[in-house]
Amino acid sequence: MTKSESAAEVLIEVRQVEKRYPNGTLALKGVSLAINRGEVVCIIGPSGSGKSTLLRTLNALESISSGEILMDGISVHAAKTDLNELRTHAGMVFQQFNLFPHMTALENIMLAPVEVLKLPVAQARTRAEKLLAKVGLADKAGNRPSQLSGGQQQRVAIARALAMQPRVMLFDEPTSALDPEKVGEVLDVMKDLAAEGMTMVVVTHEMGFARAVADRVLFMDRGELVYQDAPEAFFTGATNERLRAFLGQVAAH
Amino acid sequence: MKPASPLWRLLTVALVLAIGAGMYWATLKVNYQWRWERVPEYLLVTGGEEVPAPFDGTVAVNGKQIRITPLLGGEPQAIPDIDVVQVSDGEIVFAGNTVGKKAGITPGPLLIGLWVTLKISALSLVFALVLGLIAGLGRVAHNPAARDLAAIYVELIRGTPLLVQMFIVYFFLGTVLNLSGFVAGVTSLAVFTGAYVAEIVRAGIEAVPKGQMEAARSLGMSHWQGMRKVVLPQALKRSLPPLAGQGINLIKDSSLVSIMALTDLTKAGREVVSSTFSPFEVWFTVALMYLLLTGALSVYVRKLEKKMAHD
Repeated sequence: MTKSESAAEVLIEVRQVEKRYPNGTLALKGVSLAINRGEVVCIIGPSGSGKSTLLRTLNALESISSGEILMDGISVHAAKTDLNELRTHAGMVFQQFNLFPHMTALENIMLAPVEVLKLPVAQARTRAEKLLAKVGLADKAGNRPSQLSGGQQQRVAIARALAMQPRVMLFDEPTSALDPEKVGEVLDVMKDLAAEGMTMVVVTHEMGFARAVADRVLFMDRGELVYQDAPEAFFTGATNERLRAFLGQVAAH
Repeated sequence: MKPASPLWRLLTVALVLAIGAGMYWATLKVNYQWRWERVPEYLLVTGGEEVPAPFDGTVAVNGKQIRITPLLGGEPQAIPDIDVVQVSDGEIVFAGNTVGKKAGITPGPLLIGLWVTLKISALSLVFALVLGLIAGLGRVAHNPAARDLAAIYVELIRGTPLLVQMFIVYFFLGTVLNLSGFVAGVTSLAVFTGAYVAEIVRAGIEAVPKGQMEAARSLGMSHWQGMRKVVLPQALKRSLPPLAGQGINLIKDSSLVSIMALTDLTKAGREVVSSTFSPFEVWFTVALMYLLLTGALSVYVRKLEKKMAHD
């Protein structure tokens, strides 16, 4: 730990988290991790390594078997925690966008602020319009998801998550379902977000993005957090066997 | 794909005509007397409504004016709106005797039966949709009690014949709770159809990708908010075609209420047959009238589907 990472700045703390599926498979094996306010953390690793599972435990979309996760000091998986309230502080972006197909882009963004935050409709609309402009889709407010490209849908999904004014944004392979030429526009929005100081946890296969934007890169394999470091050191100087094997495989493609 | 030859259409027409001709030939074999001209009077009665005498009295007729002087004494009273006079001057009538008919056309027994069938079906459908929605939500609920209760309801109702359920509702519940035939009919049809609606709703909900509820929950919405605002609107849209089919089944099943002393379209048909001795014409007419109801419903739902597809 460097001096700047004092305890006061920790936003998310993961302590010895294990996740066992009913069939006995261990998806997470004693993962511990601290994420600071304003930090951008990228998680990479082969498929099935548990990186998405770990991300989804952070806002309790996935339960844990043992250990503890604290967000702003609140135990995420404690029975008495108001999960609905807690989730308003953690925006999530999914691989498959998961926009609501029966609503326009604007309505997608307005829904939760109106339903959950009880924002007046006019105020929610203003907020949604601003966010659509921010992700470069001001002219698509009235479009249904089916009328948008994958990249545009994902940008609306980011705006939808931002509408709750979260303290942290969780990205679950946000560009994996996109056509290659649409990846850039989504990463650009994420870069802007990082530059604004948003705390971000990003599960990704985009090594270039991780290298350019992340403050720290994590490597997961078979449910374990194997290695973590600043991007430069991570991609060039890492001596870890499993990480080098993985990076070698990725580079070969 | 190359367009199908128009000859196939011709074959269809030929086969339908052949079946029709075969049926006609069969009626000739049994020496059936077709009397289609007798059917209209059971749809619409042109004579108008019959007017009974309000009390015992002596009739005075002047053109279409009828006045009755009470036998027990008192002022003569005029009977208004008579178009066809059916008594003669000076005749003595008793209370309830028909003195004449009003002008105009009134619905005949078949149309009245159609109206009863329509009323029963529409009411049952509304209750069935409400019941089915609740039971369907129960089927996918996290709460084990809700899930089990919904499952028991669905299995019990789908596993027993509607006719048997109707006997139970009408003769058992109906007697215990003193239900009218109409209430018993609507109850049994709604409960029966509700079980099928529940399964349609459940399938609709399960067909909505899991990511939709996850997205809603990740935004801080409760399970119920996510269900109401995100999952159900999509599920119901998918459910419309099977729901239309269930509605059509309901209209047809409503013919079973004729066991409950209710004169629906089927019961009316049976009564008309017994007074005309023209079963073929009457049952064909009744079938056509059911087809009218079911056809209207399926056209309406198709329009609704199109409208929702545009939204």
